[in-house]
Amino acid sequence: MAVGHPLDPYLRTDRLPTMWCPGCGLGVVLGTLLRAIDRRIREGRLRRENVAFVGGIGCSARMTLYPLFDSAHVIHGRAIPFALGVKIVKPKMKMIVVGGDGDIAAIGGNHILHALRRNADLLVVMANNMIYGMTGGQLAPTTPRGLYTTTTPYGNPEREINMVRLAAALGANYVARGSTTHPQLLEQLFYKALAKRGLAFVEVLSTCPEIFGRHIDFRSPVDLYLELRKRIVVKAKPSVEESDYNWEKGFVIGEFVDKDEPGYIEVYLDYLSKALEKQPS
Amino acid sequence: MRLEILIAGRGGQGILLLGHVLGKAIAEHTDLHVLGSETYAAETRGGDSRVDLVVADREEEADFIKVVRADIALFMHQLQLDAYKDLVGDGAVVFLDKSNVTEIPRRSWRIYAEPYTDIAEREIGTSRVANMVALGHLVGVTSIVPPEAVESVIRETVAREWVDLNIRAFRYFLRLSPHRQTEE
Amino acid sequence: MRYEYVTGNIAVAEASMTAGLKFYAGYPITPSSDIFEYLARELPKRGGHVVQFEDEIASINAAIGASWTCAKSMTATSGPGFSLMLEALSLAVITETPLVVVYVMRTGPSTGVPTRSGQYDVLQATYGFHGGLVIPVLAPSTPQEAYDLTIRAFNVSEELRTPAILLSDAVVAHTYGKVAIRERGEVEVVDRAKPSVPPESYRPYDPLDGIAPPMACFGEGYNVLVESLTHDEKGYYAPRTDAQRRLMWRLYRKVVESAERLFDYSAAYLDDCEFALVSYGPTALSARVAAKLLREEGYRACLVKLRTLFPLYEKGVRELLRGVGKVFVVENNVGLYFRELRGVLRDKEVISVPLIDLDVPPPQEIAGVVKEWL
Repeated sequence: MAVGHPLDPYLRTDRLPTMWCPGCGLGVVLGTLLRAIDRRIREGRLRRENVAFVGGIGCSARMTLYPLFDSAHVIHGRAIPFALGVKIVKPKMKMIVVGGDGDIAAIGGNHILHALRRNADLLVVMANNMIYGMTGGQLAPTTPRGLYTTTTPYGNPEREINMVRLAAALGANYVARGSTTHPQLLEQLFYKALAKRGLAFVEVLSTCPEIFGRHIDFRSPVDLYLELRKRIVVKAKPSVEESDYNWEKGFVIGEFVDKDEPGYIEVYLDYLSKALEKQPS
Repeated sequence: MRLEILIAGRGGQGILLLGHVLGKAIAEHTDLHVLGSETYAAETRGGDSRVDLVVADREEEADFIKVVRADIALFMHQLQLDAYKDLVGDGAVVFLDKSNVTEIPRRSWRIYAEPYTDIAEREIGTSRVANMVALGHLVGVTSIVPPEAVESVIRETVAREWVDLNIRAFRYFLRLSPHRQTEE
Repeated sequence: MRYEYVTGNIAVAEASMTAGLKFYAGYPITPSSDIFEYLARELPKRGGHVVQFEDEIASINAAIGASWTCAKSMTATSGPGFSLMLEALSLAVITETPLVVVYVMRTGPSTGVPTRSGQYDVLQATYGFHGGLVIPVLAPSTPQEAYDLTIRAFNVSEELRTPAILLSDAVVAHTYGKVAIRERGEVEVVDRAKPSVPPESYRPYDPLDGIAPPMACFGEGYNVLVESLTHDEKGYYAPRTDAQRRLMWRLYRKVVESAERLFDYSAAYLDDCEFALVSYGPTALSARVAAKLLREEGYRACLVKLRTLFPLYEKGVRELLRGVGKVFVVENNVGLYFRELRGVLRDKEVISVPLIDLDVPPPQEIAGVVKEWL
């Protein structure tokens, strides 16, 4: 009899193996996330039937295909409003939005902006491989300046976006950055984020050896993994000002914001109770 | 039975309120069906203000939102009388605010011309309720809707501090109207 | 049941609540906003949710998400906003998400005349989204019809598990009318079918013996799969011709084969009709008066007003117009729905009467154009 994996109870095992390339970092993202969920469920802090995954389009969004929970694999950039629609009607749900840097920071930019502003009660996991992987290596807003992509073949001339700063500036309760090169820390960030009210934003630096690595001459998964690891700077409690996102200076990972302000749903339900008490103002 | 009613005047004369009160009274207090449309110029005062009502006893006969040949018309100003007089059919019952209308076209209409604005100012104390003076006249002569229904709609629609004034204005002609002699 | 004197927009809002609306997401746009504002005041009192999102894209996606909690969901918009919603409408089609989109047409293209009317978007309403399928489009011409068809749009949407469009316009939106407003229990209200099997044996896209699959919702332990990719009955990605064929034909047929049941029209003077004016929306009101004017002049004109524009019950339309010589399709655009009817009535002379007007085309103008062809 085959020996099962400890996470099998949380997976649609009949869909494995995943569609991800060998050496892709997304398996680590999903694995650490499921371990964190498992810990929260076993603690009694989460009920399994109340956990849901929502993803847009991209390799990262396909994380929704494998977990054995309520899941939605929707359209490019729109996972956040879908998830918020669910959350408003069923506040007991723990909505986990998974997406890539293109899905969340580019096409979904307006939605993450307003979800952050609302401090919407969502866990948003942005797996950042610095490139458009699924479509073959085009520019992402997270692509470090100067690097080759298929749509900037002479080197990316644009400034890259630092989503940690954006999330912090717009008032999310929890803002962290992890890396697939540091899975224990990553699991801990997810574990903590899962218990937050309001918006928890976790950016995960991840490796895409097939597309990103190949184009910048790190052809083997191990080479790219080691290259990213070399550029990661772990800090215990970094400030938002220290949240460097820079190919040369390095990528600071850690927990940048940890607040406990009321989330959108609480504020919204309070607003709703006014409708039952009094006339509109 | 199918009737087309045209109410028109200048912005600021309370045309839309008049039309709305009449339409609502017909819709909610009689067995008749009604469609109503409001047209007004972007500027609040001075431009055209117009309400078209199509009233019928059968739903499918309340079949259009614009007056094609009015059976009942009320013009609160010369400008709109001149502009829309061709929409009023022969034999129509036409109410004119003589305070603002000086030239009456020679048409085979049954004309009721009274100085609604002057009456409102003189008898009620403000020209702002000239629209309700006119509405009272129209309702008294045509009996299209019971006056009590109109008053009930006025109470629902008009801001509380203006209700009494509007109802007094509305009753002015109803007390005088030959059609309402049986009322107390 | 009570009668109220309300506009088409308010009739839509009232009807949606009677139909069981639980979630409205929207973005303000003329001439649809008063639906939103009315619901913002009234729906929370009845335990529903009304939220303004950052754009129309977010609004419709949130409505789709909410529908997956089994809450009846709706959004309302106009041309520019509907154009933004199209991608998500396609998502609702493939995921078989019940959803009502109220499309209040205004004068276009682009910003056009935002406060005024037209019927330019009649084809976009069903053909606009990518994927080449059909969704129900119901077109009211009066506030009462706006009320009745809104309830029907919800019922169709729930029964077939499809997005449905209530195609209104600036004229219906702001026309007042006497509307019979009913409470739940006074009108037929359909709710989507729920699975009768336990989660282990549930296949989310298997219609079983019915027309649409029973729908499990988020938070019920069914491990629901909402899948935008071509999928099999389990909801698993199936990039194969056989799966694509099965899915496409099922999604197509469930709507198109409901055409007879959904067919809704009214007619006037059909008995001795020699030529028919066919129209929809408020233009049909004007066409009815035009038919009357023509009849006063001795022409045997009649009026057919279509309330179900898509799916079009082709056989029904052919039978309805069997004895008629000429068919005039009257609409407030360059002649769009005409193309649909011409395809259906191949043995007849079908003439387009496209009259562009910021309100409704006047009856005299319609009658005049028709007379030129007689």
